[in-house]
Amino acid sequence: MTQKGHLAFLLPLASCAGAQTPLAPAGDQAAGQYSLLLLMLWVCGILYMLVLGFLAMGLWRLRRGAPAGNEPTLETPSDAVLGKTLWIWAAIIVVGLLLLAGASFLLERRLAAAEAREALLVRVSGHQWWWRIAYRDPRNGSWIETANELHLPVGTTARIELGSADVIHSFWVPNVAGKMDVIPGRANAIDVTPRRIGWFRGQCAEFCGLQHAKMAFDVKVETPAQFAGWLALQARPAPAPEDAAALRGMEIVTRGACAMCHSVRGTSARGRPGPDLTHVASRRMIAAGTLAMNRGNLQGWIAQPQALKPGTLMLPVTLEPRDANAVAQYLGQLK
Amino acid sequence: MAEPMERHWLQMPCRHILLACMLFSMPTLPACSRESRSLGPGQPQTPPSGFADPRITYFEDNLYQTAQGGRYFSWYGCAACHGTEARGERDLIAVQLRHSPSFVDVYASIAHHRGVSFGHDGMIPTEQLWQLAAYVRSLRALKREQRRRQDLDQAGEPQAMSWSGTVR
Amino acid sequence: MTATAAGPGDSRAAQLRQTWRDPPGLWGFLTTVDHKRIAARYIVTTLFLLFLAGMLAMDMRLQLSAPGLHRMDPQLYNESFSLHGSTMLFLVSVPVMEAMALWLVPLMLGQRNMAFPRLAAFSYWLYLGGVLMLWLPHAVNITPDLGWFEYPPLSGPAYSPGHRADIWAQMITFTEVAALAASVNVAMTILKLRPPGMTLAKMPLFLWAMLVASLMTIFALPAVMLATSMLIADRLVSTHFFSPSGGGDALLFQHLFWFFGHPEVYIIFVPAVGFVSAIVETFARRPIFGYAAMVLSVLAIGILAFGLWVHHMFAVGLPRLGNDFYTAASMTIALPAGIQIFCWIATIWGGRPRLATPMLWVIGFIITFVIGGLSGVMTASAPLDLQLTDTYFIVAHFHYVLVGGAIFPLLGAFCYWYPKATGRLMSEKLGTLAFALIVGGFNLGFFPMHILGLWGMPRRVYTYPAGMGWGTLNLVATIGSAVAVVGGLVFVANALWSFWYGRRVGADPWGGPTLEWAARSPPPPHNFDLVLCVDSLTPLWKKELTAFDGLALDRREMLVTTVMEAEPIYRQNSVGPSIWPLMSALAVTLLFVGSIFTPWALVWGAVPVAIALTFWFWPTRARASTGPLGRRR
Repeated sequence: MTQKGHLAFLLPLASCAGAQTPLAPAGDQAAGQYSLLLLMLWVCGILYMLVLGFLAMGLWRLRRGAPAGNEPTLETPSDAVLGKTLWIWAAIIVVGLLLLAGASFLLERRLAAAEAREALLVRVSGHQWWWRIAYRDPRNGSWIETANELHLPVGTTARIELGSADVIHSFWVPNVAGKMDVIPGRANAIDVTPRRIGWFRGQCAEFCGLQHAKMAFDVKVETPAQFAGWLALQARPAPAPEDAAALRGMEIVTRGACAMCHSVRGTSARGRPGPDLTHVASRRMIAAGTLAMNRGNLQGWIAQPQALKPGTLMLPVTLEPRDANAVAQYLGQLK
Repeated sequence: MAEPMERHWLQMPCRHILLACMLFSMPTLPACSRESRSLGPGQPQTPPSGFADPRITYFEDNLYQTAQGGRYFSWYGCAACHGTEARGERDLIAVQLRHSPSFVDVYASIAHHRGVSFGHDGMIPTEQLWQLAAYVRSLRALKREQRRRQDLDQAGEPQAMSWSGTVR
Repeated sequence: MTATAAGPGDSRAAQLRQTWRDPPGLWGFLTTVDHKRIAARYIVTTLFLLFLAGMLAMDMRLQLSAPGLHRMDPQLYNESFSLHGSTMLFLVSVPVMEAMALWLVPLMLGQRNMAFPRLAAFSYWLYLGGVLMLWLPHAVNITPDLGWFEYPPLSGPAYSPGHRADIWAQMITFTEVAALAASVNVAMTILKLRPPGMTLAKMPLFLWAMLVASLMTIFALPAVMLATSMLIADRLVSTHFFSPSGGGDALLFQHLFWFFGHPEVYIIFVPAVGFVSAIVETFARRPIFGYAAMVLSVLAIGILAFGLWVHHMFAVGLPRLGNDFYTAASMTIALPAGIQIFCWIATIWGGRPRLATPMLWVIGFIITFVIGGLSGVMTASAPLDLQLTDTYFIVAHFHYVLVGGAIFPLLGAFCYWYPKATGRLMSEKLGTLAFALIVGGFNLGFFPMHILGLWGMPRRVYTYPAGMGWGTLNLVATIGSAVAVVGGLVFVANALWSFWYGRRVGADPWGGPTLEWAARSPPPPHNFDLVLCVDSLTPLWKKELTAFDGLALDRREMLVTTVMEAEPIYRQNSVGPSIWPLMSALAVTLLFVGSIFTPWALVWGAVPVAIALTFWFWPTRARASTGPLGRRR
């Protein structure tokens, strides 16, 4: 298969899995990378075609007739021509490489230039195997915490500060920008400028242990107004339970094992090791992009996390069926 | 000279390699249950039934379970009082050396722990109590600097209700 | 063709055979210093491991063939890819190239053995120790599970309890000491044991390639041994090398690892350049086109390879200008590689190629490797690499480079020199079938991975959700891999069948130009009856061959020549069989294995090592006789 065929082959298919691919850019950074990829494919495709053509013609010359006996030739008259061609070939490679290195350098400058436009600060921390996400509250500057769902206003450059609580992870939302490793002891940051509204998916890209495969997160790019509304909602403490079952659920969550690791702001559950649950029901997925948010999945996740995500540090909590229902009822109301 | 040399290497080494394998594997054999990692559901749901509970040996010997216990030890804030710098009755290593409590004792004292902030009875799921007890028991064999070194790697991990932020 | 292919009845040959032969039986097996026997067991071991690691890959491909499969849990999957990668890189690719050199270099030099015969034996035994270090624990279910580069802090004391990470790190120490031993030996042999007249400018490209690869090994491997030793120290004696909160740096490991890791790729690829050059020359029936350009490009690769390790680390957040420098350096390497490709095709163009199996492998190599090279240019671009690194695009890229660029030439080389080693030809029919299955299956299996990577599939995931749209191409990749595995089995069957039933051939079935084809097939223990002289790049394509006499028949002697001009300077005694290389390897094994359990193993483990080495180096022979040699015709 050729690089040229490669190009024709992958582009139409890019749309069918569009939420996590650099081929459907939705941000300045990814768009730059996509153009560079196309340039690379063209240049490399042409070079590959030249090599294949040269090889095919060399083999075609076999038809000149079988070698007389098996005697080697020591005189090679065509070498003078080939020698000149070698210089031309080297020149072609040099020109191609200069083109690509130059384009790559220019793109690097463009990625760096985003720093001047930073308008929003987000802190993302990698944990085995989920993402802690924190925004500044525009009213008082305190940090608002959420998990596994990143919201970004369209057209604004956000600086995402990356930190790790344990091992090396890598933050990657291919539709918006390239990846940046999340390394303990290093203050890495990445600038992203989303340009298209929609849901995208990010995933940890550096091997980080047992559940590296299920350490994903959702990214929602929305209008600035929607974003402000969402942030205001996230800043609020958890809503009070609406019915008796939910009240019972709250009792269990705040007094039982859940509170050891999880926080629900506005209640006595203030554990920090696990994801913040204050507005868990407003998120699209649970367990770091593993399961869709719905009541069945919530209950299943609480009862059997090890079956759904073997090795996860979320504990299996054994509850009476009635209590399990109540907890799911309560968490389902944490919008 | 009668026989080409090349036949030897295809036929001879089998016996030799087998022998070497046997010699080599001897020190590793006892280690295999220590290193096993059982993932997925099916962990213990009940406290130890007594000193002879076979699960005790499994948990005490298994490095994965012990390490998980170490993780939860920090997550549940145990290290705040019983960390590397703890002295006196809070120094879990010293206490164990002095009183040599059994696994069952350690398990019970964690399960019915009356700490400064809260009791753990019913809050920590059974499986984690097993892991914690295994970790606490393993501390006897852990050198102080080894424990400190592990703490350094885990410096960014949250501890109960506080989290000092990522590793800087 | 040559005066040296003397008949077996020759008494001179018989006397030499008697002098150079090994003791019979098991003792001979354990004490041999015959480079051909050592290389043969090296090659058989690597091929066996290639099969095992290939089976692991097949297992992983089955797990990934559809979304959300449960046939492997994450632990097993992590163990599988770690074992696959570590085995393929450390226990197959590098050693097999050294093994080919051990086998070929003395023959191509017209010599009787390596420069340091016992070091070659030591290298194999220690390598075997590394193999057992990784695979025996695997047999009892203690498998390293953190990939072929175990980044701390994941591999540090807190996140990797037990000895899994230690086993990996110490396996590296084993294989790297073995590789250093082999490389020093190969480099020394090429520099000092060339036949009279083989100046550096008349040295076959294979020898140039092996010389460069060996020197690269000598410079690159200490970095990784340092990294893994620091990791073991962190884990065993609680040092702080890689602990940021203790004043260390997690990135330090990556720098050291890739300072080795990138040259490593070329240490694997450069010998393949040698294979391809030798095959192309023979089958195009003409001297290689652009010899000087080829030598310069191999040297250029050898030097540039040390300046671009950071392209494995573009995403770690290093300064952007620095990244651009490494982008430029990484792209530059496409120039020498492109020149090599041109020279090979030009040789085919200017010659009259015969499409025997080795030549088919060269064609498969060019078609496949160039894709890998070009995808390498893409990943060399720092900003683009941020999208490509750690995805299946990279998985596809390095398999194209390593399998297409090194394993295909290796298989070609295997077919090419097989008649020299066994005296029999491999079946062309089965060979062509294996070629078609392996090359076709490989491309079917790995090309889709480029696209999967561009669709956002990260590497090292044990499963993926159904909604991602990655299922179909993963299934295609699995089918392709299965086809390639079947091809591999056909290849092995061909090698085994031909060993007993292949057509018998003489010394030079292909009409090769270099000295190894002047030896009998299979070569006797002393390789050559006389010391051959060389005055061109293709000595056997001359009408007549000059030879030297004057080396002893009744004891092991070799001719040492000068580094540049290969002027004969003295005869050197070559050591005979000895048990001490094996004993030394056992002592070193004891030390290495012990030191993952206690630091004191370094102290008491040094005692047996010292004893074994003392016996190894115990002087038992008179000083080498020196003095000028007369040239005889």
